[in-house]
Amino acid sequence: MSELLTVKAIRDAVAEGTVTAEEIVKNSLARIDAEDAEIGAFLEVFHTRALEKAREIDAMKVRGDVLPRLAGVPVAIKDNMLLMGEKASAGSKILQDYTSAYSATVVARLEEAGAIIVGRTNMDEFAMGSSTETSAFQKTRNPWDTSRVPGGSSGGSCAAVAAGFVAAALGSDTGGSIRQPAALCGIVGLKPTYGRVSRYGIVALASSLDQVGPFAHTVEDAMLVMEVIEGRDEHDATSVELDSKPVAELLEPSMKGLRVGVPKEYFIDGMDPEVRARVEEAIEVFRANGAEIIDISLPLSPYALPTYYIIQPAEASSNLARFDGMRYGTRAPGALEDSYLTARSEGFGLEVKRRIMLGSFILSAGYYDAFYKKSLAVRNALRKEFDEAFKQVDVIISPTTPGTAWKLGEKFDDPIAMYLADVFTTPANIAGLPGISIPCGFANDLPVGLQLQAKPFDEMTMYKAAAAYQTLTDWHTKVPQA
Amino acid sequence: MDINLDHIAKLAKLRLTDSEKETLGRQLPSIVDYIAKLQEVDTSGIDPKAYLTDATNVFRSDVPSTAQAERDAAVAAFPKSAGDALEVPGIFN
Repeated sequence: MSELLTVKAIRDAVAEGTVTAEEIVKNSLARIDAEDAEIGAFLEVFHTRALEKAREIDAMKVRGDVLPRLAGVPVAIKDNMLLMGEKASAGSKILQDYTSAYSATVVARLEEAGAIIVGRTNMDEFAMGSSTETSAFQKTRNPWDTSRVPGGSSGGSCAAVAAGFVAAALGSDTGGSIRQPAALCGIVGLKPTYGRVSRYGIVALASSLDQVGPFAHTVEDAMLVMEVIEGRDEHDATSVELDSKPVAELLEPSMKGLRVGVPKEYFIDGMDPEVRARVEEAIEVFRANGAEIIDISLPLSPYALPTYYIIQPAEASSNLARFDGMRYGTRAPGALEDSYLTARSEGFGLEVKRRIMLGSFILSAGYYDAFYKKSLAVRNALRKEFDEAFKQVDVIISPTTPGTAWKLGEKFDDPIAMYLADVFTTPANIAGLPGISIPCGFANDLPVGLQLQAKPFDEMTMYKAAAAYQTLTDWHTKVPQA
Repeated sequence: MDINLDHIAKLAKLRLTDSEKETLGRQLPSIVDYIAKLQEVDTSGIDPKAYLTDATNVFRSDVPSTAQAERDAAVAAFPKSAGDALEVPGIFN
C-alpha cells in the first residue's frame, strides 16, 4: 500500500506542504476516472466541486492558516447522505432526480474539517440489501474479484476505499451494512454505538437501528473520521453529548490484560471452515499477546436476525411512507390515491416492495402483538444478555460474516440466504452496541473480517484492541491487484 | 402462514404486478415462517422496548431557523410549486 493511501498520511503531508490538496484530489479523481468503470463504486463524481474545495485548502496553506483536521483528504459518501446542491438518490429510482436542499450533519462536519467529498457511492436501494445489487442504477464489484459482490448495503463506499480511490468513506449500518462489506473487501468498517453519530440528512431506513460510520484501511484512520463526525447534533434527538472523545493521536494500542469473549453461537454449522480458521488464528494472536480468552455463551444470538427482520421492515415501511411522489422526485398523474400508487409502484424496486409489504403485514391488525411487540421484548432481552456478558469480558470477538464474498447474482433470488450474510452483524444494531470489522487474512484468496463488539459508548476499548491487532499483523496493508 | 397480499398491498399503498404478486406470494410466507422463530423465546417479565437508550424527552423553543437558501432549495426540490408555496393535488373533489 502506498503511504499516501491513509487518511493520516495524506492529512500530514498536506499540512506539512510536501504535497498539495489539489495534487491529492487530482490523483484520486484520475484513479476513479480510469478504474471505476470496472468497479462501479460511484454513482456520481463531483470533479469540479472537489477540485475547488482542494484549491481552497491550498489557498489556506499559502496564507499560513492552521489547516483543519482532515484538510485535503478525499472521501466518498454513500448515496443516502445529503450534500447541499448535489443529488442524493439512496440508490432508488424514486429519488433519482432529488437534489439535496441541505447537507447532512456528518457531511457538513467532514467538509468543515477540510475533507474533500469526491463523489456519492452506489448502495442497495434505500440500504435494503447485503450485496449492493438492489441499486436501481448499477452493480458494484468487489475489487478483489470483480465477478463477486462487495457486500452491502454500503458496497460502493466500501469498494471505493478497498480499490484505493479514496482514503476513507462514509457508510450507514442498520444491520451490518458497514461491517459486512468491510469484511468482504478486506478493510476496516466501524458501526458506532447507537446515538454516537447524527443521522440528520441521512435517508432513514430503520430509525431505531441506523448509524453512520467510516470505512478506512486502519483503525487510526477510522478514528480520525469519527473524531470529526461524532457527537451531539440538535437536529437528531437521538444523538448524545459525549463526555469525552477518543483521540487518535493519544491511542495506545494494547491487548495486554484485555478480556476477550468468544461466543460459541458465532461459530455456527455451515460457516466457511476457512473463515473459521482465520478467526481462530486471530484469536491466537490476542492470546499470544497478553489477552485473556474467555469462552462465553450468548444463547439469544440466533434470534437477532429474525428480530431484525421484524423491526427493520416495520420501521422501514413507516419511514418510506413519505415517498409518495408529493414531496420528492416525480409527481405521478391522476387523482390523489392513484398518484400515490403510481409513484410508489413505479419508483420502488422489488426488494423495497418486499420489505414494505413485510413491514405492513407485521404492523397490521392481528399480527402486531405476535410479531412487532414480541420482537421488542426479544430486543430488550438480547441487550440484557450482552450487558451480562460485558460484566465478564471487555470485548466480544467473532467472525464478521459466516463466509466470504459471493458471486454476483448468486443469492439474488433467495432473500433468506441473502439475509443470513448479516447473521453476526445484526446483534450490535439490535442491542445498540459499537462494532468494528478488521481484516484478518484470506480464505481462498478472498478477504476475511474479524468483528469486535464492545459495551455501548466504549469504542475506546474496541479501538485499542483492534489497533493492537493491526500493529501485530499486516492484513490491512494488502491491496487488490489492479 | 396465510398472507392476504391484496389487503397488505392496499395498506402499503403499492400496486403490484402479476409477476410481483407471484414472487411475493411465494417469498413472504417463508420469510414470515423464519421470523416466527421468535415465538420460541420466553419473554415473560421482559418489557418490549422500541429504543434501548436512556434518552428522555427534551424541548426546544419553537423558533424558525431555516436559512432562506435552504428554504429556496427545499421548494425547488419539490415536484410542483407555485411561487413560494408547495403545490399538491386537492384532497376533496
